[in-house]
Amino acid sequence: MIAPVNVSRRVFLKSGAAVAVALSAGGIRLEAYASENAQEVFAGWVEVKPDNSILILFPSTEMGQGSETALPQILADELDADWDQVSIQQLDEDDRRFGNPAFGKILYTAGSSAVYGYFDVLRQAGATLRDMIRTRAAAEWEVDTATVATGKNRVTHAPSGRSMTYGEVVALPDFTETALLTPATLKTHEQYTLIGKRVPRRDIPAKSTGKAQYAIDVRVPDMLYATVLRSPVEGESVASLNDEKARATRDVVDVVTLPDGVAVMAKTLHASFAGRAALDVRWTETSPFRKYSSTATLAAYTKAAEGKADGAAWSTHGDVKAGLARASRSFDAVYTSDYAYHAQIEPMAAVASVDADGKGAEIWVGTQTQSWTTRTATEVLGTTPDRIRLNMMTMGGGFGRRTELMQNYLRDALLCSKKANQPVKVVWSREDDLKFGAFRPAAAQYLKAGIDDNGVLTVLHHRVATPSVIEYFNPIRWQQVDPNDIISMRGAESKFYDIPDFLAEHIKTERHARILPWRGIGAAYTSFAAEAFLDEVATEAGVDPLDFRRSIMENNARGTALIDRVEEMAASVPLAEGRGRGFAFAGYGDTQAAGIVEISVNESAGTIRVHHVWIAVDAGQIVSPDNALNQIEGGVLWGVSSALFERVTITDGQVDQQNFFNYTILRNNQSPAIDVYVAENNEKPTQIGEAGNPLVPPAIANAFFALTGRRIRHQPLTPDRVREALA
Amino acid sequence: MISFTLNGKKVETDADPDTMLLIFLREELGLTGTKYGCGAAMCGACMIHMQGAPMFSCQITLARVAGMNIKTIEGLSENDDHPLQKAWIEEQVPQCGYCQSGQIMRAAALLDSNESPSEEEIRNWMSSNLCRCGTYNRIVKAVQRAASEMSS
Repeated sequence: MIAPVNVSRRVFLKSGAAVAVALSAGGIRLEAYASENAQEVFAGWVEVKPDNSILILFPSTEMGQGSETALPQILADELDADWDQVSIQQLDEDDRRFGNPAFGKILYTAGSSAVYGYFDVLRQAGATLRDMIRTRAAAEWEVDTATVATGKNRVTHAPSGRSMTYGEVVALPDFTETALLTPATLKTHEQYTLIGKRVPRRDIPAKSTGKAQYAIDVRVPDMLYATVLRSPVEGESVASLNDEKARATRDVVDVVTLPDGVAVMAKTLHASFAGRAALDVRWTETSPFRKYSSTATLAAYTKAAEGKADGAAWSTHGDVKAGLARASRSFDAVYTSDYAYHAQIEPMAAVASVDADGKGAEIWVGTQTQSWTTRTATEVLGTTPDRIRLNMMTMGGGFGRRTELMQNYLRDALLCSKKANQPVKVVWSREDDLKFGAFRPAAAQYLKAGIDDNGVLTVLHHRVATPSVIEYFNPIRWQQVDPNDIISMRGAESKFYDIPDFLAEHIKTERHARILPWRGIGAAYTSFAAEAFLDEVATEAGVDPLDFRRSIMENNARGTALIDRVEEMAASVPLAEGRGRGFAFAGYGDTQAAGIVEISVNESAGTIRVHHVWIAVDAGQIVSPDNALNQIEGGVLWGVSSALFERVTITDGQVDQQNFFNYTILRNNQSPAIDVYVAENNEKPTQIGEAGNPLVPPAIANAFFALTGRRIRHQPLTPDRVREALA
Repeated sequence: MISFTLNGKKVETDADPDTMLLIFLREELGLTGTKYGCGAAMCGACMIHMQGAPMFSCQITLARVAGMNIKTIEGLSENDDHPLQKAWIEEQVPQCGYCQSGQIMRAAALLDSNESPSEEEIRNWMSSNLCRCGTYNRIVKAVQRAASEMSS
């Protein structure tokens, strides 16, 4: 059906011959723009210029996950653009018209949501503009629109042999008055030329030559450097300060007391660090956090998990009490996991240049959210968003670290710059980044399951005792979602299984440390507990762990296909002498994944070596296949690293670890071979970035059991825990 | 006054001799391809070549650099076309990319001394350098690709 949309007001920018198309997240309704000039303000999703070049807006943020290429790829495909003519523009402001549909239109890149969140919007934008170009060209040639084809920035009318570039079409008179086709002519999957094709990532050349610029790299004229000595325990401030020696340090310019620390501003970073080392600060020492140590915290969480008090139901169907009463056999276990640190290799850094009136600023930040970074600046300066000029820097790793509502590194840069009347770069050392990190929360989980006479799982009760991450890191969002904390609970829903009686509940415990989303969020520990526990139940039931899953996935053909596939992949390699294999099935969000790992154990050292990982993933339509592989490989290694090594401990409110020598992450020569299968289908795209890691820790724990006959129910599987299990 | 050779050019400075080369390169000279990751020789993001050998620039003071020949990622190739850089692009190695300058400088030093390293040699050699995104297996492939290009 071809019908003109009622364009009551000017919906497109009048900007010479350039055109911009905007779409609301809900569909093809076109939205009016405030600006009259696209040359001054980049205001749309896409702009075709008279020189036939195309500019596509990138509304998310780039932290290594590849969305900066993948999202424009989607729009360009529907537009039938010539990819070589496409340039990409980062959205540098909190403009909610381009907000993430998966996050209520907040500019927020997390939860592996960029592709699935923006997929429909970007297709509609590209297809709408392509329709306009075809329609206008048809009018020019006085032919039927249906006879006008597009491809690589060009319209052609085959019967007459005529053609024009997109640039020529948008330069035609009254292009912006062109009637719209509705609905927009979306491509079929077979027609895709960029979606699902190997398109090299745009950011990779600069990242292979040292040219990519991160926040920590920014230098602006007259910039000072600031490092901050922070209160070692959360919730404390400066009681007394002697900064005489710091001020006497060569090139130190000023010392500023911050809400929870002291900043030393200097002409060089070297001097700032030297000045900081010379500070003499006494802290208030009144914080309740001084009484928290991680061992006691986990013990308290364990008690809560095992307790009787009801939590907030996260996911429920049937009746677990009745189900357990009916079961022919039942089993229970407690699983625990320690705090874990993001360990992104770029430590936190920000540059701020506050305006002379103190009510505006230009800022350079690596952030996962334009919205909350802008908000941080407006809150700190007591100003409005229009006074904040944000420069979005590519991030040296995100993993959830850069998602906070209030971003203290930026806050400190703003406060310092305001005081100094000069631009200031705040740099965190690795020690700062770890000591003042915000972690995957410690968690204790109690699981109880029942099986029927055939050894089929009929009931599962999963109690997760951990604090609410959202309540802490984003109180505004918590007001909207309380008591459902997806960050703390994801994965516990075990939704790929049919379990007649099921309850996952959140026992919200007291927060004893700074906490944040961390790659895989809740699934990084809930899947560890659930999938290792199911392996225990399968063993008790005398059923093969893969068949045990199959028996509760009869209505999940996509999931069972992954189990079949990964079983086949692993079977192609004979199990080596002295090694064991373990299986787990856990995806992320709507993405399903099945994995098998092969390990060996050095019993005297207590070390586990992961030799091989096979993983099969179904994430629906894949936009960027090679990058999807890279993300899954990276997720797998993240999972190995977290399962074997990663552990933050806290004593009297202070983090015990300092640097990579005592917070260990995986190195190259500890990496397993990884074989990845990604299902090819045209289903709705789902999450990729965090699909690889949740299944790895339980698969390793299950492999450990297969090899040694012992269970380890505490993540990470450190040498002391391995030796204890083998004793 | 300290002077040394950097990417083939002479550099003279009166900066504090205790300044770490890493900070001097990045903040004074604006050569930000070399990264700060840990300051403790634990991550390799700051890897440079000194007299042709791979070194952690976070551990080297300016005083120690006097008279030395230093090479950074910016000086690795004339046109960003070192076989390793091409291989990094071909294999689509980087994700966040922050560690990759250091990875490439580390790998370049390996290929300078070993034309065809085995996978095990590559993995052991590259284990001084952390990558949090998990690109290790692609790094190995890219080093192998560059090695075969350089030997052909």
